Formats: sequence, structure tokens, C-alpha cells
Amino acid sequence: MASNRRGVGLSAFSNAAISSDQYARHGQQLRTSHADALANQLSVFQAALHNFSLTHAKDIRSNPTFRAEFARMCNAIGVDPLAGSNVKGAAASGGKAGSVWAKMLGSSVNDFYFELAVRVVEVCRETRSENGGMIAISEVQKRITKGRAKLVGGGMEVTEDDIMRAIESLEPLGGIFKSQTLGGGKFIKSVPKELNPDQSTVLEVIQVLGYVTVSMMQANLGWERARTIAVFDDLVADSLVWVDAQAEETEFWSPASMHEGGG
Amino acid sequence: MAATASLSTLSPPLYHPSPPPPANPPPSTSPASPTFAFPSYTTFPPFYTLQPNLTTRARQLDLWSALITSYCAHHRLFRLALSAPPADLFAHAPLGRALKPADVRAVLDHMAQPAHGPRVEWIAANKGEPSSTCWVYWKSLAEWADAVYAWVDATGQKGSVLTVYELREGDAVSGAAWRDMDEALLRKVLGVLVKRGKAQVFGVEESSGVKFF
Repeated sequence: MASNRRGVGLSAFSNAAISSDQYARHGQQLRTSHADALANQLSVFQAALHNFSLTHAKDIRSNPTFRAEFARMCNAIGVDPLAGSNVKGAAASGGKAGSVWAKMLGSSVNDFYFELAVRVVEVCRETRSENGGMIAISEVQKRITKGRAKLVGGGMEVTEDDIMRAIESLEPLGGIFKSQTLGGGKFIKSVPKELNPDQSTVLEVIQVLGYVTVSMMQANLGWERARTIAVFDDLVADSLVWVDAQAEETEFWSPASMHEGGG
Repeated sequence: MAATASLSTLSPPLYHPSPPPPANPPPSTSPASPTFAFPSYTTFPPFYTLQPNLTTRARQLDLWSALITSYCAHHRLFRLALSAPPADLFAHAPLGRALKPADVRAVLDHMAQPAHGPRVEWIAANKGEPSSTCWVYWKSLAEWADAVYAWVDATGQKGSVLTVYELREGDAVSGAAWRDMDEALLRKVLGVLVKRGKAQVFGVEESSGVKFF
């Protein structure tokens, strides 16, 4: 007597069909219940994160230490605290994901970095004629903390890390705002022109020594006179350095030290 | 041959800029004013060289304008003479730097443009000679006129006659911002009020008087 379980012969086909059908249905049920559980967990998490950022919006705005911790937490979870501010990135990662995080984190974080980015752009623009578009991050931080002239209480307490994050969010503007390291100091470049290696070297020397002359470049780096003069002329033409003609030999100074020491 | 050397082997400059002057309390208008607080850019050596790059120069001229305006306001200087400027305004002795006379003139010319105030007005010299003195308007003529008129109003002297002397150095104006103002400048200020129909000047030099309406 053929047993149904043996699965041979014509009846085997219908058995296989029935069981694979049953397996399929069971798998479907599992997937559905997993998806439901996940969706439920996610919405609980969303609500918690949203509430957290709302409750602490004031702290995020005003307290740099708290803000740094919040950013570190976001990075640990794998969330970009500025998600949603970079529209291109949000669209690429599937628009919904980007805006969901932005909704959860609340507008406070985005608003803060957006406003900071605006201030950074303002400071760069205001000082451009003085420094040719290269400004030390420490000076940006000092000016932003001091606040806009003639406005009471307009200063934002920010750290250099905050400024770096704000600049990253400016990337969609065409990559004009970039950070650059010169001789150990971090600078923000706000003009499209890229420095060539010679120009960068001279600016680094000026960063370290305060000023530079043709002889100093010759003596310390072995540069020929013509090469040095050509680079100096470039830097002057880009208003990146100031000229002191009253020294024994013409000196080329970085404007970075101009406003140091109060005033 | 190594084309590069590490930055750590660079020799330090022989010249060290002197530290900026210590921060002073903000200048007051009381008779015993503390020392003028020079902004930090006055210890920046290139500040005393007229910059070749025009963008940089424009910024430099603005900084000079701010310095001269606030210096004259602090010291209550109404006039600058190119032949004898204040020793510490256009030069920084410890640094060994000074703005050349031709460049001083360029700065004052910049301040004399209407677009920049004007914060300075050249005083006409003898025929054929360029001016070498100028008024410094740390308050504009209009602001001076407002101040004088407001004082006349507040002290209930509209309608009475005051002598120019009283207005300049009388006891009643001992606390006024315009006391001891150069007489020629005060007359210019009064001229503004006359044009506004708020005052009338009559009499001759020594005994000239003003009536305010």
C-alpha cells in the first residue's frame, strides 16, 4: 500500500505542491510578523529620538559640550545629525530615509548648523578683502562668538568642530567652502582658487614665522629669487598677504595676526 | 639636492613685533579720559605701508578711517595738520613704522569722499597750494548741528541771543561735546542751522551773536 508520505508516483507531485505552498504561506506569515515587529520597534525609536531632540533643543543650541555628545551619539547609531540638510544626499539614499531622520531629530539640529553655516559665510565674506579668502578657523570662531556688530546677544557659542560640520553641510554650494591645513593651523578657504604647492608652502612658512622675505625662502628652503618673487607676486595679487615695505627687506605678512590681542 | 627642508629648521625672524598695548577701559568723555585704546591692527607692521593690491588697500583705508575717527573723537581733536600730526596716530615708534606723508594724504583723501562720510574736509589753503589741514568729522556737521540745537532747546534758550564765545567756551557748555571747538568749525555748524531756518547769526567777528528759533 503506497504511503502518502513516501512521495513517489503521481501523488508525490500534488504533495510537493501542497507542502511547498504551505511553506510559502508560512514563510510569508513569518516575514509579515517580522516586518510588523520591526516597524513597531522603529516607530517607538523614532518617537523617542524625536522627543529627545525636542526636549533638548535648547541645550543642543546653546551648549557646545552637549552638542558634541549628541553628534557622537548620532554617529554611533549611524545617523548623520545633518541628515536632510544635504538634499542631494537625501535623494540619493532614498528620499524617505533622509527626511525621516530629519523629522526624528527635529528641526533644532538642522536649524542650528544651518544658521552657523550662514554665519560662517558672512564672516568669510566680510573679511575677504582683508585676507583674500583664507581665514583661520580660530578667527572665525572668535568672530561668531562675539556676534554681529551692533546686534546685542547675537553671538553663538560654537566650537571649531561645530564650524567644521557646518562647512561640510555647505558642500552643495559647489565646494567653494573648504577647510585647509597650513602649518598646523586650520583655515577656511572661501574662494574657488586652489593654491598651488609653492603658494601653499609660502603661506605655511608665514603661518609659522608670521612673515617671510625673499632671503628667508632662499636661506631656509633653497628657492631661487625669481621663483620666490613670482610666488610672492601671486599671493599679493590674490590679496592673501600684506606687504611691509619699511623693513630692511620687503616683508610679506599673513593678515591672520592683524586682529589678535584684542581690539 | 633636497628641494625641501622641514619647517622645523626654519630660522626664526630677527624681528619680533612688540606685544599689543594692554587693553584699556573704554574711553569716556569726562575731562580725565584714560589713554586711547589702540586697536590691535596698529601693531601690524604692514598697516603703515600703502598696500599695492587695491582690494587690500580699500580695506586698509577703511581701517585707517576708523582709527583716525575714533582717535580724534577720544582726544576731541577737530582738526588735523599734515605738518604736525599727533605723534602716535600715523606712526608707531616701538615698531619703527610710520605712514609716509604722501600716504597720510591718500588716507585723508579717502576719508574726504562723500561715500565715506565724509569724515574729513580739507580746509582751503593759499591760492595754488594744496590743502594741508582738514576738519575731522567724528561727528558729522549735521550731527553737531542737532547736538547744539538740542542743547539750546533743552536749556530753554530758544529765542534768546547767545554769543559765539558763550557757545564755544561758556560755563554753561562745560559738559558739551563741542566745547572748545575751533571757532571756524562752530561757525560752519551754525551755518547748517541757519540753512535749516533754526538760527540766525549777526554782528561782526568779536561780538557776533546767534539767535535760535
